[in-house]
Amino acid sequence: MMRLGVRMTESFTPTEFIAVVNQTLEYAYSSVVITGEVSSFNVSKGKWVFFDLKDDESSISCFMAVWNLRVPLEDGMKIAVRGTPKLWKQGKCSLTVNAIKPIGEGSLKKAYELLKKKLTAEGLFDAAKKRPMPEDLVKLGVISSTGAAGYGDFIKIINRRWGGMKVQVANTQVQGMDAPDQIIRALKYFNERGDVQVIAILRGGGSADDLSCFNDEALVREIAASRIPVITGIGHDRDESLADLAADVRALTPSNAAEILTKDRAEEKTKLNRAIERTRQVLLQNIESARQENRNKVGSVSRGLLAKYIEPMSRANREKIEKVLTFIRGEYEKVSTETAHKKKLLETLNPEKVLRQGYAILSGKISPGELIKITTLKQDINAEIKEIHERE
Amino acid sequence: MSESKLSLNQKIEQLDNQVEWFYSDDFKLDEATDKYKQAVTLAKEIEKDLTELKNEIEVLSEDFSK
Repeated sequence: MMRLGVRMTESFTPTEFIAVVNQTLEYAYSSVVITGEVSSFNVSKGKWVFFDLKDDESSISCFMAVWNLRVPLEDGMKIAVRGTPKLWKQGKCSLTVNAIKPIGEGSLKKAYELLKKKLTAEGLFDAAKKRPMPEDLVKLGVISSTGAAGYGDFIKIINRRWGGMKVQVANTQVQGMDAPDQIIRALKYFNERGDVQVIAILRGGGSADDLSCFNDEALVREIAASRIPVITGIGHDRDESLADLAADVRALTPSNAAEILTKDRAEEKTKLNRAIERTRQVLLQNIESARQENRNKVGSVSRGLLAKYIEPMSRANREKIEKVLTFIRGEYEKVSTETAHKKKLLETLNPEKVLRQGYAILSGKISPGELIKITTLKQDINAEIKEIHERE
Repeated sequence: MSESKLSLNQKIEQLDNQVEWFYSDDFKLDEATDKYKQAVTLAKEIEKDLTELKNEIEVLSEDFSK
């Protein structure tokens, strides 16, 4: 049968046709991203969100569950939505939305301010909730993209500064619509297992749009609720996300997070040497005081005996007594020599003595390409080993 | 690497306590030399750890995109 030049080989009922269109839409556009301006924004019964997404010529109805709305919306905001198109039985086409992202500086700022106000009122960012980072950090969880420069900087710096830590890395996206959910899953992973002391969320610099995933409401709430303390190192020092505000500690950058979490090996070595040197000095002073005290006691006893008992005696008896005194002096000298020996031993353990003689102390792994520290009497020098030759 | 099971920070804390003894009322000259030798030994162990200890980095195999 031919009608209006169209070959009518197949006929549908309206219901069948809508079902076929929906099948086709699902196949062709199971997940489509549309950018436009919000209008007629409305929340129905606290459960459903309705709005239109429009440009200069057209408009499409959008629908979503309220729990899925993780960014505050207002009419006039420019957003990108991701969803599935559907043709309803009444013939109306709409988009079932599963993710929204504000677009453009104005909308990003508006969404940020609206959510910040709401979460601040709930007390999510209260300073009293902030927990300090542990002093003895040996187990660390990291959430970042392992291919990102910020992650690379973080790892390089913690390896340079400190050692002996076990670092578990959850590789997630750190920008885009999928990033918040991936980061949330990683936070849940670490919290459920509970075998890290701190979780670091890291991302290097980027545009306001790139960093906007860190203003996702669900993510911000997950960070605030984390049982394990969270440190963020997101973007640069001028970027402040809501994730930063919810974290226990905000580092300005991933590199800064590495510095906050770890001590510096070189500084610790210097402190170590100073502590040992101070201890040695205290010990030497005590030994010297004890020697002096003993000497005074022996001198006083000798003089007292001489005046009271020995001088009035006969010559024979004085000689006998002198022998006893000589023995006592000998014993004292033994003790004194032993004390001096201890003092000398302490002197030999002093690395400063070696340095004063013009020698230097090398610390570090002796291997080509490794960085070592050279300590002289007045300087600490960092150097790289070029070659190693055996001495003949 | 050192044989001690203590972490680097725990060793440093232990050394701090050993050093503290020299300034405390518990100080006894008879014990001082041995205590000093112990402190020097621990300090050397810490310095070795500071030079040699590396971090163990494990990228989890879990897929967080699902």
